[in-house]
Amino acid sequence: MGVHPRALDYPDSLLPGPIPDESELTSGTRIEPGRSYGFFTDTTLCIGCKACEVACKEWNALPADGLALSGMSYDNTVKLSADTWRHVLFVEKAPRDDIGPPFQAGWVMMSDVCKHCANAPCMESCPTGALFRTEFDTVVVQQDICNGCGYCVPACPFGVVELSPADGKAHKCTLCYDRLKGGLEPACAKSCPTDSIQFGEVDTLVERAHERVAELHRRGATDAYLYGAPDSPGATGGLERLNAFFLLTERPEVYNLPAAPDRPADRIAPGLAAGVATVAGLALAAAALLAGGRRS
Amino acid sequence: MKALTPHHRRSRRDDGHHGDAAAATYYDQPALKPPPYDWRISGYMVLAGIAGSAQIISTLASLSPHPPRRLVRNGRLLGLIGTVLGTPLLIADLKTPSRFYNMLRIARPTSAMSIGSWILSGFGGFSGLVALGQLVAGRIPGLRRLVGLAQVPAAGLGAGMSVYTASLLSATSIPLWSAAPQALGTQFGASSMATAAAALSLAEVAAGRRRTAATLDALTAVSALCELVASMVARRQRAAAGVNGPLEHGRWAISYRAALLLGVVVPVACHGINLLRPPHRRSDQLSAAGSLAALAGGMLLRHTMLRAGMDSTADPRPYLHHSRERR
Repeated sequence: MGVHPRALDYPDSLLPGPIPDESELTSGTRIEPGRSYGFFTDTTLCIGCKACEVACKEWNALPADGLALSGMSYDNTVKLSADTWRHVLFVEKAPRDDIGPPFQAGWVMMSDVCKHCANAPCMESCPTGALFRTEFDTVVVQQDICNGCGYCVPACPFGVVELSPADGKAHKCTLCYDRLKGGLEPACAKSCPTDSIQFGEVDTLVERAHERVAELHRRGATDAYLYGAPDSPGATGGLERLNAFFLLTERPEVYNLPAAPDRPADRIAPGLAAGVATVAGLALAAAALLAGGRRS
Repeated sequence: MKALTPHHRRSRRDDGHHGDAAAATYYDQPALKPPPYDWRISGYMVLAGIAGSAQIISTLASLSPHPPRRLVRNGRLLGLIGTVLGTPLLIADLKTPSRFYNMLRIARPTSAMSIGSWILSGFGGFSGLVALGQLVAGRIPGLRRLVGLAQVPAAGLGAGMSVYTASLLSATSIPLWSAAPQALGTQFGASSMATAAAALSLAEVAAGRRRTAATLDALTAVSALCELVASMVARRQRAAAGVNGPLEHGRWAISYRAALLLGVVVPVACHGINLLRPPHRRSDQLSAAGSLAALAGGMLLRHTMLRAGMDSTADPRPYLHHSRERR
């Protein structure tokens, strides 16, 4: 990516204050309300540095959690949680004859995050309206409204949302809502040194991602595919698309991702209808029994 | 700490997305998170079912040619008592209980929790009206008519109370809950009817009104049989999806079998034997045993389904496999 011409307006390394529309310089995207923003996480570029995890924790002032050894390669973060909104997965792969030494070149890393689904199950399941869709088409929890009912937690098909025992409210990635409002690229994407995490308008990102897949296929990496882009795995089971989508090289399960996550809200009506029909049928039986019982 | 899964022994993805999807996950870490629910939620589910169905039974009884007045009164009171006892359980389970009223901040048809909150509010309101009317109807003449009107929406919402808790479980990503939405709704609805009839029957037996008790016992038995059929359908659908494991092995499997034994087999046996006898030879003890078993079975069913589903999230493989099969 070339240097944005506006960057030349700031020759000094020490800046007097925040640059207006800084995201235009760091990601090539000017942030405007009313458009859809998201992440394209290209796992073939991830080097497992965890700068995204650190940037996220720092910017969002998230408390430390799980300070323990997991035994899972270099991954002691283990999972996304109320206090961890970026999580880098490490999968060490078998030796491959064609490239590099074993367990080095075959190392698969992936920075996982909330997917900001187009029809987000967490938001659809939230009874208080604490979870809402922002003007940037992202999904955010308002902790000043959340009453900690916890129903968004099992609704999420990716196991992302969690309640914090510290305050009894649901927490998850906000796609740096505050930074977007201030014209800044989200913290994780800005800090990513290899541009594995790319921030931008979703349509632009999807287009770019398809080009990247085509390029990788041309170069022989035919494993590469998109997860969460429209009509791709991750977006075929009822979720229209994931605003934070991924380029993967292994099957979704290797990253603990469901191949075809579905939309839980679709199951409300069938369950209610069948149940009410049952109760109505039994009520008829009850009416008949009551009438008969009194007569006998 | 869990042992490493043998990713590296798995064949590369060149096999074109086929093969055993359950083989490799990310270190067998959970792919879903369980909701932070406990006995308070399952307790509420039981109370909601009893209250809702009791309201239906009492409304039907009041509309029958010769209304059994005590049964009508007990059903109306049970409708209110279930709400009064159940609602605090729900609020106490919130992790920020002081904000319980935010449940009525919006109405969201895609949220079973929101639908349930409004059903509970409406049911509670009408049940309160009906119960109040019931208690003072003798003294104020016009009130009897009002109770007669208010009990109809109360009974309608009672049907919602009896079954929405099943949709609450089904409309999640947890496969044990979501694989058989219709069958689970039927199972919970039938169990609600069985437990409400059982609770009302106990009162009738205690008061020596054997004829109405026999009617209610028959309803319990019919509902229990309906629950049995629904549970068999649900089991088949979950097994077909490969997600019935938690109800086949381990502690919740035992608990689930106990729930069916208590909630279905014992009531059907007790009430069946009793009702086949001539009316003057029916046993109060047998009737009470069947009713108590039905109540215990209903409680165990809700608690087992809740906890088995929560615990099932520890293993990512059924969910990830199920998601692949569905694609």
